[in-house]
Order: sequence, then structure tokens, then C-alpha cells
Amino acid sequence: MSTAQISTPPKLQLDGLMLRYAVLVGLIAAASIGFGIANENFYSLTNLGILLRSISVLFLVSMGMTFVMLTGGIDLSVGSNVAFSGGVGVVALTTTGSATAGFVAALLAGMAIGWVNGFFIGRLRLSAFMVTLATFALARGLALVIYGADSINVDNGAFLWLGGTSWGNLPVVIPFVAMVFIALSVVLYRTVFGREVYATGSNFNTAFVLGRRPERTLIWVYILTGFLAGLSAIITVGRVSSGQPWTGLYLEFDAITAVILGGTALAGGRGRLLGTILGVLLYGIIINGLVLTGTNPFLQSLIKGLILLGVVLLDTFTQKGRAT
Amino acid sequence: MTGAAKLLREYNIVFVTIGLCLVFFLISPRFVSIDNMSAISRQIVPIGLIALGQFFVVVSGNIDLSMGMGSVLFAIVLGVLFGATGGVALGIIAVIVCSLALGFFNGALVAKLKLPAFIVTLSTLFMAQGLSGLIIPRGQQIFLMGDFFRFVGAEKFLGVYWSFLFLAGLFALAYVVYNHTRWGAYVIAIGNSEENAKLAGINVDRVKIGIFMFSALCSGFAGIILSSRMGFVQPGLDGNGLLLDGIAAIIIGGTLILGGRGTIAGAFWGLLFIGVINNALNLLNVVDVWHQVFKGAVILAALGVNWWLWQSRQAEAQ
Amino acid sequence: MNYLSKLSVGAIAAGALLGTTALADEGTLDIVFINDGHVAPYHVAWLSGFEDAIEAYDEAFSDLTVTGRWLSAEGSLEKMIQQAEVTINEKPDVMFVNAINVDAFEPLVAKAQAEGITWIAVHSPMESADYSFTLGDVVNGRNQGMAMCALSGGEPYKVGVMLGQAGNPSGEARREGILEGIATCDNIEVVAEQPADWDTVKAQSITENWLTQFPDLDAISGVTDGYMYPAIAVATNSGRDDLHFYGYDGDIPIIQQMEGGNVKADILLSGTREGWNFVQMAYRIHKGEELEKVYDFFTPLVLTEENHQTALANGFPEDVEVYYVDQALEVAEKGFLEFGPDSVM
Repeated sequence: MSTAQISTPPKLQLDGLMLRYAVLVGLIAAASIGFGIANENFYSLTNLGILLRSISVLFLVSMGMTFVMLTGGIDLSVGSNVAFSGGVGVVALTTTGSATAGFVAALLAGMAIGWVNGFFIGRLRLSAFMVTLATFALARGLALVIYGADSINVDNGAFLWLGGTSWGNLPVVIPFVAMVFIALSVVLYRTVFGREVYATGSNFNTAFVLGRRPERTLIWVYILTGFLAGLSAIITVGRVSSGQPWTGLYLEFDAITAVILGGTALAGGRGRLLGTILGVLLYGIIINGLVLTGTNPFLQSLIKGLILLGVVLLDTFTQKGRAT
Repeated sequence: MTGAAKLLREYNIVFVTIGLCLVFFLISPRFVSIDNMSAISRQIVPIGLIALGQFFVVVSGNIDLSMGMGSVLFAIVLGVLFGATGGVALGIIAVIVCSLALGFFNGALVAKLKLPAFIVTLSTLFMAQGLSGLIIPRGQQIFLMGDFFRFVGAEKFLGVYWSFLFLAGLFALAYVVYNHTRWGAYVIAIGNSEENAKLAGINVDRVKIGIFMFSALCSGFAGIILSSRMGFVQPGLDGNGLLLDGIAAIIIGGTLILGGRGTIAGAFWGLLFIGVINNALNLLNVVDVWHQVFKGAVILAALGVNWWLWQSRQAEAQ
Repeated sequence: MNYLSKLSVGAIAAGALLGTTALADEGTLDIVFINDGHVAPYHVAWLSGFEDAIEAYDEAFSDLTVTGRWLSAEGSLEKMIQQAEVTINEKPDVMFVNAINVDAFEPLVAKAQAEGITWIAVHSPMESADYSFTLGDVVNGRNQGMAMCALSGGEPYKVGVMLGQAGNPSGEARREGILEGIATCDNIEVVAEQPADWDTVKAQSITENWLTQFPDLDAISGVTDGYMYPAIAVATNSGRDDLHFYGYDGDIPIIQQMEGGNVKADILLSGTREGWNFVQMAYRIHKGEELEKVYDFFTPLVLTEENHQTALANGFPEDVEVYYVDQALEVAEKGFLEFGPDSVM
């Protein structure tokens, strides 16, 4: 499925990333075997369903974050944006009674925050870190205001369907995430926009000189991230059958960690969506396994830190080994 | 001459902060009372230490995300040793040694192995968070009582808190180092272009490691001051909030996140700006659900005003 | 798809088989406690009380293996849902869930019950749960407020109230109670209400600001003892030895500040006690005892004996259960006194 899409970027880049993917696949295998031995339930289909469903939102948000990080930016506001766009969607749903209105409102709200980010970052050339730090607070605050700091129950079947339904042990959201992955892959690898994303990340000024419009690309990248946050909001509401002002708390940190694990360069210009998928999988498996084994949360933090550093170190050493 | 030029360059954040103070003063005259200014001066000390350490890291084109959780960890190191020995000296020495060690670890990985600072310090952030809960004996909060903690946390000299004087002293020292020593010039050079810095014969690795050791030391100091003011330690302190406030302060103060540009005076004004906002939220009795909206909107507005002032100055210059 | 559904049918059948064998085995009791956090002082005491109690019950009953573990959602609703889903799949006997938001857990309660798991909703009651373990937050808050009335001496009395995180049901209920209690007299003025988000650093800044803003402040009331640690430290260090504190939680270090100190009243939840009570409750359910569907945790008001007499003289209701400091400290330190294996043998 994915090999067919990997074709465009230069060869050298691909080699480095391929090595990272091999490392990730190895770690995913090792972690699964380890947890499988520690707890027989790990391999049950139910547990795999739970695992996949629990990281479906992280998949979406991390794919958006990959676009942002490919441009050399960062988006700290996605978690808050999930809460905000969910709030707008749920309020639209309850006031109009129409699921379509709810969907549209949630997506538009997510894209609006994305536009604010994109405008300040792309047009005014302000630091992505700083701007999204401000919208991180702003969007969470607006969510609290919209909800009146309380949750709102949702019982509209159509609105809840995506996040709440399962076919057997397969949550419907998983094929949906796969479809989003394919669509985003096409956008990133097969369109002018995708090439501009890589170009903007490689060098904003060069892109500018070459007559491209990097500021416009940036705005659209953040709007895309906002759109994915809106989608995540719809899934989250479906999952918990209610709108919640505190959803998505610290989601951005998980997403950034997963994208880094997946080999996307912080400086931009290098990385692929497949890596992000592997990064999210590894992250999700570790979290799931640590819950199953009832590990102390402080120990979990320590383990998270060690794995993140370990993967990056392993990468460096293998690259060095090959170079000499 | 340079002083006046620098002051001009930093005008925008000064304007914004003073303007904000004026607005708050009109809403609540108590805002500018001596007592309130004194309270703000004390509240900004831990954020200020984080901002100062982060300043050099950011100017050199890096970032240190471990500073907030680091200061929580160091506060607990101090607390655990105080709880075990009843003395302060050993705890202080341990905090200094541990923080320098963390800084060396961060710096060495960044400088020698060429790993991105964001990733290295994100992982040490997680590790510090984990360790802070693992080294404290189960089920305990440790109280920090005694002359030392009262001195650091609450004593004043001529009406000014010692902790604020310490911060101001460090800022003054940093000003001299940054503007008038070779080391300061090296930091800027590395931030502008590491390649060129190397070509110019600067020992880039050593400077980088030094920068990270300084930032970690600052978070060690922040941990000591934070815990002294609190009078007790426990691993649930919000280290990441501290980190984000510190970063916000220096960036609002005009430090370029990509490195190579920034002034100590700007960082200090940015710090005051953050301190004023945090204080105003409480003082003006802003209704709880609006807290975050207020903070986000004010920071965004400050960024916008900053940009606008910068634009109009550019236009004037032409 | 066909293959998948066959597989899942197989898994369910296997699961049911496993489930029945587990149920048939009377000799085990597996308890899982999913909490919203693990770092606040109250949480730390709570989780360690729970661990100690599991160990004690396991030792005390030779024919029964008691096992248990706790998980912390670290404040994230999604994380808590995932933890609950994973736990249900593990099929423990009893689940205590301190839901961040109860509405979100309705589907999971049904799922757990279908697996034969007893679901106990912690703090925020749930109609669908097998049991709800509640605190009586409004009543407790009212007791705190009324104690303030009775001990304020009838003179004008200014108080600042520190709240929980916006929208948190426990925090809101406690606030409601405290304000109701204060409203029973007319000399107390609430000069400020601020959320400190259960965060000690915020509580400290708020205290500093209040002391500046209201030089004549008489007391600070809080919805958790977590706020009292920094508030007391700030007041002491600022030379405000006359400031009074009204706490909530029954943290041992705070109760210790009552005799001869400035903490005037506290609500004796005590994390250790609550952790022990959980295990006792699970054991009683396991034994087939009929418990009330809404189980109210016994949470008396804590006062010094002297202050209690003063309060009664000032019209404080006599029917409010009060523990004096020594008694409160003893049961808080030794959770087994009230809820240990001896209590059910």
C-alpha cells in the first residue's frame, strides 16, 4: 500500500529515513513481543482494537504535525484546538439538531484557529513556537467559554458514528484514518502544494526568491492542521459520546514526540508520513503495554524519555557506522 | 551611544508593557502600589531564571525544554536531602552538581553527537519528570522550614526581596557577559552560523556545552527559590508552565527563536510583561473561564503590536 | 471482514470461558483503581493507602488472594477512557473509577457490567454504576463555611476562597457548599474567589496577591488542602500570623497545624482512609454483602476541642459530626483502624 507511493524524494534522503523505519519496525516488534510475554491479553483482538482506537486521533494530529514540521514550524495549539472545534461543533449540533451543521462547524472552527496560526506565522513571519503558544492558551480558553466549563451530552447517532462505532473488533475510525493517510500522501507527494511544503521547509528565503509564495503555503499548512484537529474533535466526541472542554490535553506533546520518532527533521524539509505512522504505532504500543502492566506513571515518563533518546541515538550511531 | 541605540531598538516591548500597566492601573489603581510591585518582583524570579538561562540557549540557535521539569527535579533533590539530613548545605551542593551534570549531558549530546536540542531536551524533560517522582520517598511531601528558606523565600533588603536582587544581579552579570566578553560574541556567532563560527576558530562544542550547563544551573537556582518560597516540595509542581512562561518572556522581548539575535534588556522587559499579565489575572479578578482566553489574546496582541511597531520603524528608516 | 468477525467470535468465546473460570474461582479478588491523577498530596496518600490495604487484606485472609493496581490518567480524559477499556479487557472483579467526566463513561460502564465487573463510580455518582462512592462535598463545604461563621467572632470578617479547576464537579460542589455555609451569617464577606486549578504554585501566587490586595484579609478558605501548604508558608513568611485557614481534605500535615496553629477547620477525608475504605468495600461486595447503592464516605469536620466549644456557644449546629485533632490524626495515619481486615472479620 505504501511502497507504491514512495517515489519522489532524492535517493540519499530515502536511505537515511529507511534505516530509521527499519529501527522503528524492529522496536515495534520487540515491544509487542515483550508486552505479549508480560501479559497474554496484549495480543487479544479486543486489545488491539482498543489500542488502534485510542491512537486514531494521535494518527490524524501527528500527520498534520508532520506537514507543519516539514515546513520547519511547530504547532502547540492542536490539542486545545481539538477541544475548541469540538465545542463549536457540539454547540452547532445541539442548536440546529443537524449533524451536517455540526460537522461543518467543527471543521471550520478548527481551520479558523489554523488560519490565525498561519496568518501570524506565514504573513507576519512571527515565530511558530510563540504564535501557537498563544493560540494554545486562546483555543483552550475559548473551549472553556463555549462549554461554560462543563460537558455537553451528545446522542445524535450520525455525529457519534465515526468515533463510536466498531465492526466487530475493528473500530470504523481505523479504515477512515487509513483513507486520510492515503489522501494526505497524495497531497504531499503528488501535488505542487506538497513540493512547496518541502521547499518552504528547506529554505523559506530561497523558496521566496524562486518566485514561490511560501507565506501562502504556510497559511494552508496550518489550515490543514486545523482541519485535522477538527476531524479529531469529531472522532473524540464520538468516542466519549459527549463534548468535553478538557479533551486533547497535552496531545501536541504526544504528536511532536511521535513525529520526531518517525524521523521528520525539526529544521524542516525532510521526513515522510510513513515514518509518522510508525512513530505513532510505537508510541501507542508502549503506552498500551505500560497500562496493561500497571507501571508507575513516573517510571512511564522515564521510559518515554529513554526511548525517545535511544531511538535518536541509535539512528546517529548506525548512520555514523555506515559513513565510515 | 550604543546604550541609546539599544534602548531604541527595544522600545516596542517597553511601550507595550507600560501601556498594559496603564490599562491595568485605570481598571484597578491598586495595581501600581508598592506592595503589588513587590509581589510581582517576587513572582517573576523563577520565571526570570528560566528566561535568562533559556536566553543564551535560544540566541545560540537551540532550545532547552528540560528547564522547567529540571527545576522541579532539583527542588525535590534539595527537599529529599534536607529531609534526610536536616541541613541545607549538602542539598545546595547536590543541586548545583546535579544541574551542571544535566546541562553537560544535554550539551554534550547536542554538541558532540549533533542531535537536535529540541529532541535531546524533550527526552531529558520526560526523564526529569520521571525521576522527580521516583526519588521522593513514597507518600511524602517534604516541608522546608528554617532560616535559609525564609531568607531566600521572603526576606527583603531595603524593601526589595533578596531573591529579586539575586535575579537582577544575574541579569546584570549576563548583560556584561553577553555584550562585553568574547563568550557573548561566540554565542551570537554560533546562532548566526555555526559553520562560520567554526571557520573563525571558535571552539563551538565547548561554548555550546557551556551554554547548556548555564541554563541547567539557572533551573537549579529556580528550583531552590521556588521550593523556598513554597515551604514544601512535591513532584506535582507545574514545571512545563514555568518553562513556557520563561520562553514566552524572552520571545516577547524580541529574541529571535531561530538564534543570532536578542538583547538581555529585551528579555527583562518580556519577563516583566509576563509577570504583569499573570499578576493582573488575579488582581483584576478575571472570571475563571476567561483566564486562558485573556492570556492567549494578550500575548497574540503583543506579538501583533510588536510587529506593527517594527514595520513602521522600518518604513521610517527608509 | 468475514475472517475477522470469525476471529472475534472466537475471541469472545474464549474470553467468556476465561471469564467464567475467573468467576468460579472464589479465592481471588482483583481490584483496579483508575484515578485522575497521582501527584497531588491527597492523591499520593490515597494511592499508598490503597496499596497498603491490598497487601493487608491479602495477608489477613489466607483463603483469598487479593490483588490490585492503580492507574493514573494524569488529568486526561482520553487517557482515562483508554485505561478503562484496557482494564475491562483484563476482567478484574472490581473497578473504582474516579471519572474526570461521568457522561463520557456511560458506554464503558455497560461494557464492564457485561463482563461481570463491578463498577464503582468514585466521587461523582453514576446512576448506571453498581455503586457510587461519594463524599458529600456540598455538606462538607457547608460545614466548613458554618465553622467559619461560628469562629469568626461576629465582627466583619473578610475571606478569600480558592477554587478548583473550572468545571470540575468536586470543586464546584465544594464551592457551592462553602458559600452556602458562609451565607448562614452576615458578618463574613467573600472578597475574592479564584481558581488555582489544583496547582500549589498558582495557590501560592494567589495568596501573595490577596495579601497585597486585601491588607485586612482575615481568612483563606480552600477546596483542597493542597492550597493550604503554600498559603500557610506565604502568610508565615510575610509576618501575617493572624491569618486563618479553612481547609478541605484532611491531609495529615495540615491537621497537625491546627492545635495552636492557624488552621481553624478541616474536612477529614484523608487519602489514606479513602484508599483503605476502597479495599474494604470491594471485600464486602466480594463476600456478597448488600451495600447501599450510593455509599457515602464518612467525612467528619475536624476542629480543636476548644474551638468546637466556642463554635457551639456561637450557635454551631450540634448534630454536625466533629472529630478532635488527636482522633482525626490517628484514623488518618492508620487507615486500618476503621477499614482494615479487622473491621470485617
